[in-house]
Amino acid sequence: MIKINSHPRFLLPLIGWQVCPFLICYLWSCFLLLGPISSAPAFDERPKQLFQKYCFDCHDDVTEEGGLDLKRLLEIRGFDGRLLFENLAVQKMPPADMDQPSANEKQAMLEWLASQQKERAPDSFGRMSRHEFVHSINDLLGTNLNLAEVIPDDRGTYDFESDRRIKLSREMLSAYFSVADEMLDFGFPPQGFPQEQLWLTNKLKDSHPSYDIYVRDYKDGILFSWTRANNGNSYSFFYDNFDPPAAGWYDLTFDTMKIGEFAEDISIQVHAGKYYFADDRPQPQRLLGVISVGNRELQARKLRVFLQPDESVSVHCYSKYTFRQKNGDQGAYIKQLQIRGPLQDQWPPTSFQKVFAGLPIKANPRKTIKVADIQTHLERIGGHLSVSSFQQGMEKEKMQDGSNRTFWHTQFTPTVAKPPHFVILENPRGVEIKGLSYSTWSGGNGNGQVKGYSVQFSDDGQTWETPIIKGVLETRLPNEQTILFPSKTSKRFIRFLVTDAVSLDGKSLASVGKLDVVVDQKNAAGLSQVSIATSAPDDLRQVMKRFSEKAFASELSEGELAPYVDVSLESLEKQGDFVKAARLGFKAMICSPRFLIRPGEYSNASYTKAAELARVLWLSVPDDELLRLSQSNQLSGKTLSDQIDRMLKDKKSERMIESFCDQWLNLRAWKKVTPSLKLYPGYDDLLNYYLPIEARSYLHHLIQENRPVTHLIDSDYSFLNQRLAQHYGLRGVVGQGIRRVTFSADVPRGGLLTMGAVLKVTTDGFDTSPILRGAWISRNIVGTPLSPPPENVKAIEPKSGDAVTLREQIEQHKSSDACYHCHKSIDPYGFALEGFDATGQYRTKYRVRKPHRGTFLFRLQGYYQLGKSVDTSGEIDQDQFEDVFGLKKILLSDHRKIAYNFAKKFFEYANGYKPSLQQRVVLLGMIQEKDDDCRMKDLVTRVLTYSLTGESR
Amino acid sequence: MKETSRREILKYGAALPLAMHSLDLHAVTKPKPVAPPRRIMFICNSLGFYKPNFFPSKRGDLSSSKYLKGMEKKEKMTVFENFFHPGMNTSNHDSEKSFLTGAASPEAPNFTNTISVDQVLAKQIGGDTRYPFLPLSIYDRGWGCSWNDRGVAIPPLHDEVQIFDKLFGEEDLAAKRRQILNDQQVVRCLYRDMEQLNKKGDNATKIDSYRTVIAELEQQLQHEAFWLKASKPVVPNTLSEDQEFAFCTKVKNLFELSKLAFQTDSTRVITFSMDWIYGAINVPGATGGWHTLSHHGGKREVLEKLSRIEMNLVEQLDTFLREMDEINEGSGTLLDHTTVVVGSNFGDSSNHTCHNLPTIVAGGGYRHQHHTVLENPTPLCNLYLELLHRHNVDVGHFGSSQQDMMLLKG
Repeated sequence: MIKINSHPRFLLPLIGWQVCPFLICYLWSCFLLLGPISSAPAFDERPKQLFQKYCFDCHDDVTEEGGLDLKRLLEIRGFDGRLLFENLAVQKMPPADMDQPSANEKQAMLEWLASQQKERAPDSFGRMSRHEFVHSINDLLGTNLNLAEVIPDDRGTYDFESDRRIKLSREMLSAYFSVADEMLDFGFPPQGFPQEQLWLTNKLKDSHPSYDIYVRDYKDGILFSWTRANNGNSYSFFYDNFDPPAAGWYDLTFDTMKIGEFAEDISIQVHAGKYYFADDRPQPQRLLGVISVGNRELQARKLRVFLQPDESVSVHCYSKYTFRQKNGDQGAYIKQLQIRGPLQDQWPPTSFQKVFAGLPIKANPRKTIKVADIQTHLERIGGHLSVSSFQQGMEKEKMQDGSNRTFWHTQFTPTVAKPPHFVILENPRGVEIKGLSYSTWSGGNGNGQVKGYSVQFSDDGQTWETPIIKGVLETRLPNEQTILFPSKTSKRFIRFLVTDAVSLDGKSLASVGKLDVVVDQKNAAGLSQVSIATSAPDDLRQVMKRFSEKAFASELSEGELAPYVDVSLESLEKQGDFVKAARLGFKAMICSPRFLIRPGEYSNASYTKAAELARVLWLSVPDDELLRLSQSNQLSGKTLSDQIDRMLKDKKSERMIESFCDQWLNLRAWKKVTPSLKLYPGYDDLLNYYLPIEARSYLHHLIQENRPVTHLIDSDYSFLNQRLAQHYGLRGVVGQGIRRVTFSADVPRGGLLTMGAVLKVTTDGFDTSPILRGAWISRNIVGTPLSPPPENVKAIEPKSGDAVTLREQIEQHKSSDACYHCHKSIDPYGFALEGFDATGQYRTKYRVRKPHRGTFLFRLQGYYQLGKSVDTSGEIDQDQFEDVFGLKKILLSDHRKIAYNFAKKFFEYANGYKPSLQQRVVLLGMIQEKDDDCRMKDLVTRVLTYSLTGESR
Repeated sequence: MKETSRREILKYGAALPLAMHSLDLHAVTKPKPVAPPRRIMFICNSLGFYKPNFFPSKRGDLSSSKYLKGMEKKEKMTVFENFFHPGMNTSNHDSEKSFLTGAASPEAPNFTNTISVDQVLAKQIGGDTRYPFLPLSIYDRGWGCSWNDRGVAIPPLHDEVQIFDKLFGEEDLAAKRRQILNDQQVVRCLYRDMEQLNKKGDNATKIDSYRTVIAELEQQLQHEAFWLKASKPVVPNTLSEDQEFAFCTKVKNLFELSKLAFQTDSTRVITFSMDWIYGAINVPGATGGWHTLSHHGGKREVLEKLSRIEMNLVEQLDTFLREMDEINEGSGTLLDHTTVVVGSNFGDSSNHTCHNLPTIVAGGGYRHQHHTVLENPTPLCNLYLELLHRHNVDVGHFGSSQQDMMLLKG
C-alpha cells in the first residue's frame, strides 16, 4: 500500500521469535554479515567523512571495537547497514561519552546508509487475518459473533497478524468457508429465528450442606459469598431451570444487593460454560462479565451476553471480606435471575434490513414467550411421573421441585414397600427424549440412594421392553448425572428401575433427589420465519451489487459481478428461495480472492485507501460514509485526515486497540501463563480479567486524547477499578467500573512498563526474569537493536524457588565479554522491574516457595516465605538508576527513541512489513524535537497517512 | 458363519474389513485377508530430552538409558545417535519449524519453509483413508511440524473432544452433502471470477496463489464427498478427563486418539507436535515452566524436575507403543505396521543447540537394532529419505539428505 519504491527486507536480526529469556547473548557486530565482497565504487565523500569522524575512532581496522571494522565495511558494495542504521537512529552509537553528530549530520548519515541498502521488496499482497474476517462479516451482516477463535491462528512466529509473509493454506481457506457458513446461518437461519423467551430462576443446580460456606438459601433467593475451592479454582454455581435453546444474545438481569458492612463493592462474576459439579475441577468457562454490587437495596443489574446451546450460566462471587465463612452473612444476595433471549436488536432482524434494504421483508410478528417460573423439562413437554410407592412427606413431586435437599423416598413406614422400586415417566405427546438427568439427594444419611438402575420403554405402560440401558450411579455427590439413551426415543412410557440402592438398615429402599428427562431444547418455543417477498432476478442483482460494493470496497461492472450474480440466480431459479439464493452469492463473495487477499481490486484510489483504513483501524470493511467519499474519489488531503479522526473516534477502533495490544505488547499470550497460587494466592479470575483491560484502556486513552508519547513510559494516571486498585495497594477506589485514577508521586505506576498486564506477561508465572522483561522492553518499547544469541553460549537459568536471586546469577553476564556486550542493554531494564512480582504487585523482598504436604490446598497466605531483598538498581548507557523511578527518568530523557520505536511498530502493524531504511528516515522525520509536542494520535495519523499516500507532511 | 449385518456395514462403512480386523469383530469369521496398510507417525518433542538421561551409556544397551530402560518394547525400537539438521547453528527455537523439513536457517527473516516429510507421505499414501493425515499439537498455537509444498504451516488440531468428534462423531450426512454441493458451487463461481481477474493481468501472482489454494480445497471437497458413502467407525470414548495433571492428560489423549485413528484406519499419517508455552505445567512430582526448566544449565535440582517431565513423556510413549503392539493385525500387530519416529529439533535445549538430535524409530516391522550410533554427524533427512523409500515414495532426495543409508533392517 505504500508508494515508496524501495521496500524493506526485514529489520535487523531481532531476538528470536520467542524471546528466550536466558539466552540473549552475544555481540551485535557478528551480525553485520557481509554480502558478496566486491570493490566499492566511489561514493559521496561527505557521509563517509562523517562516519570517519564519529565512528572510526573505535571501529577502524586498528581498534576494531566489538569486532567491527567500519572502515572496511563501508567500502563493500551492498553491505548490510541495518544494524548500523538503528544504532545511529536510536543513539546507541556513538556512545554517550563520545562526540555526537549534529542533527543534520546524523540525518545525512542515515539517509546515506538507507540509500546504500538494496532491500528486498515485501510481498505485494497478504491474506486477510482471521480477526479481520470475522469483524468484516459482522459489519456486513449486522451480526455480532465472536468466531475468530474458531479459525486457526496462522500468525506463527511473526509479530503481527498482518504480516504479508503469512500465506493462505487450504486449511485456513477451509476454515473461512465454514465460518462464513456459520455467520450466514446466524444472520439468515434457514429454519427461521428462534422465538424470544423469558425465564426466571432462583435455584442452583447443586445444593449441599457443605456448600453453605459458599452459597446458601437466603430470603427468596441465594446469598453468594466468595467461593474459592480447595484447589484454588473459582467455585461457580450453575443456575438451574435455564439452558439456552439456541446460540444468541441474551439479557441476564440479576436482582441483587450487597450484604455486608464494608465500603467495597462485591463482585458477581458471571460465567458461561458446560455444567460441571462444583466439587469437580472446573471445565474451562468463559467470564461473560462482572456486576459490581454496592447497593444495599435490591436493584436490577443487566448483562448482555452471548450463549451457546450447550452452555449454562454460573455465578462466582468475589469480595476479600467474604472468604469461606461458616456462618457468614456477607456476600451478594441474588433474589432472582431473569433471562431474556435470544434477542434481536430489531425486528425484522438487522441482517435482513442491512442486506435487503428497500425490499419487502415478510416477518411474523415477534412476541416474547414466558417460560413458566420453575418448570422441569418433563413438565415442559407435558409429561408427568408416577412411582412404585412413596413415604409421606417424600412424594414424587419432590423429585421435580428443583432441589436435591428434598427427595422422593419409597415407603418405609408403617410398612416397607417391596421391590421393585421404580419411577415411570410419561411422555404423552411423544416428544423425542435423549435421556434422563438424575441427582442424589443431599443433607441426610444417604439411605436409599440409587446405586444401580436400568431403563425400560413401553408403549402402554403395561408391557415393558428389555432394558435399553443399565448402569451404576454415584451415590455420594449431589451432582446432576446424565443417563443418555443409545438413541433418542419418543416412547410414551419410560421406566427408571432401581436395581440396587444403599441400604443402611438392611431394608429395601430407594430415594431420588431429582429426576428429569433430557430433551433437545432447540426450537422448543418455535421459530419465526422471515423472508423476502420478491423473486425478481433484478432485485437479486441489486442486492448482490450493493453487497459487493461493501465487501470489496469497489464498484464492480456488470461483467465483473456476473459470476456472483449468476450463481445466485441459478439457485433462485432452481429453488425459488430468494434469501437462500442471496446467501450463496454472499458466501462466494466473502470467500473470494477479492475479499480474502489484501489489497483487493479497487476501482479508484479512494477505494484503495478506504479499504486499507477500515482494515487497519476497524479490522473491517469501509462503512457507508467511506464508500460515499470513495465513489466520488474524494479521499485525500483534509478529507482523509478528517476520516482518520472520525474512524479513531468510532467505537470500532477499539478492535484496533485490542489487536495492537495483543500483538505489540504480546497480550495474546495472556491466557497461557497462570501465576502460581502457592506464591501468589491473591491472583484470581477477576484480576486476570481486568489487567489487560487496563492496558487497553490506557493505550486507547493515549491515542484518543492525543497524549504525549512519553506517557508510554510514565504518567501520573492509569485506568483502574476496585480490584486493580487493591492489587496496586491503592485505597479509595470503589466499584469495578474502570475509571481514570491519578497517582501520587510515590506510586511506582503510570506508563506501560509498570502495568500489571505487562509485568505478568513477561514471566512464567513463578519467577520473574530480568532478562525476559529486559528483552521485552528493549524490543517493544525502546527498540534497542539486538541480535539473537549465538550457539554454544552457556545459558544462565533461574533457580526456581530458591533464595539465590536470579539477578546474582545474571551478574555473571558481566564476566563474559560476549554476553555483556548485549546484555548491558537488556538486563538493566529488567533489574528495575524486579520491584514487581509475577503478578505485577510491588515487592521489596522475594517470595520463596515452601513445600506443602500432600495435595495442594488453597489458602490465603499461600505457601512461601520472604527471602532476600530486591535490588532494583542498575546502569544503562552509563546512567545509573536506583529503581524504576530512576529508569523511567532515563527513558524519558530521549522521547525520540520511544516515539521512533512506536512509529515503526505501528507501521508494521498497519502495513504487514517492517519499514525499509528509507521509510525509517521518513518515520524519524515525523518525530518532534520537543517531547511535549510529540503526540500519540498525531503519530498514528501521520504513519497511517504516510502508509496510504507516501506523504509525510 | 456369521454374516456381516447391514447395521455393521453402516457403522463401519468402507473401512469395515479393517475395522473388523482391528476391532476384532467376529473373531470367528475370517474375513478374506487384507494386507495391513503401512502407517507412520512423527513425534517432535520441541524441547528435546536431556541427553545423559536419554542416550544409553552403554553402547547398544537400552537398559543403560535412564529414560528408556523401563520401556517394554525395547525389541521393537532403535535409538539413533548422531543425527542432525545442517544449517541450524543460530536457529534456536525456530529450529522446530525445520524438524520435518530439514530447511536451513529457519530463523532468517525471509525464511520460507519447504514441504515436511509427513506431507510427502500423506500425498502418497493418504488418499486411501478418510483423513489423508492428522496433525496434532498440545496447545492452540496454529503451527506445528507439518508444512505444505509451499512451505506454509498446516495448523494442527489440539482439542481432544473436537478430534474425537472429527474421527468418530456422528454426522448429519444429508446436511454434509448439501454443504459440499454448496461449497462446490462457490468454488466454480470463484474460478469464473479468477479467470476474468487474470485477464486484467497485473495481479497474476496474487490470483495464482489463491487459485492454488482453492484447487486444493476443491480436491478436499471431492475427497469428503467420496467418504460420505461410508459411515465413520464407532468406537467408545476412552479419553481421560483427569484435570489434576492436565498436561499429561492432554498427551495421553492425543496418543490414545492416534491409536484409535490408526486402528480404525481413519488415517495412515499422524504428526504429533509437542509444543510448549511459558506457563507452568504439572506432572507427577514436578511443577514448573517446562521451558524455564529446559534451561537447566546442569543444575541438579532443575534437572530433577525436568527429568520428571521428560520421563513422563517417555512413559506415555511406552504405553502407546505397548497398546499398539497389543492390537493384532494380520500376522503381526498394529505397531508392526506403524513406524513411529520420535525426535526433537533440539539436541540440547538448555544451550539451544541442534547437534545429535535424540531419535527413536519404533515399530514398522523392522528388525530393530536397539541402539545405533552413527559414526559421523548425519543429516536426519537421510533417515527421512529412507522412510520415504520404505513407503514407496520414489524420490532422489529429501531436504538436506545425502543418501538412503539403509539404516532400517528387515
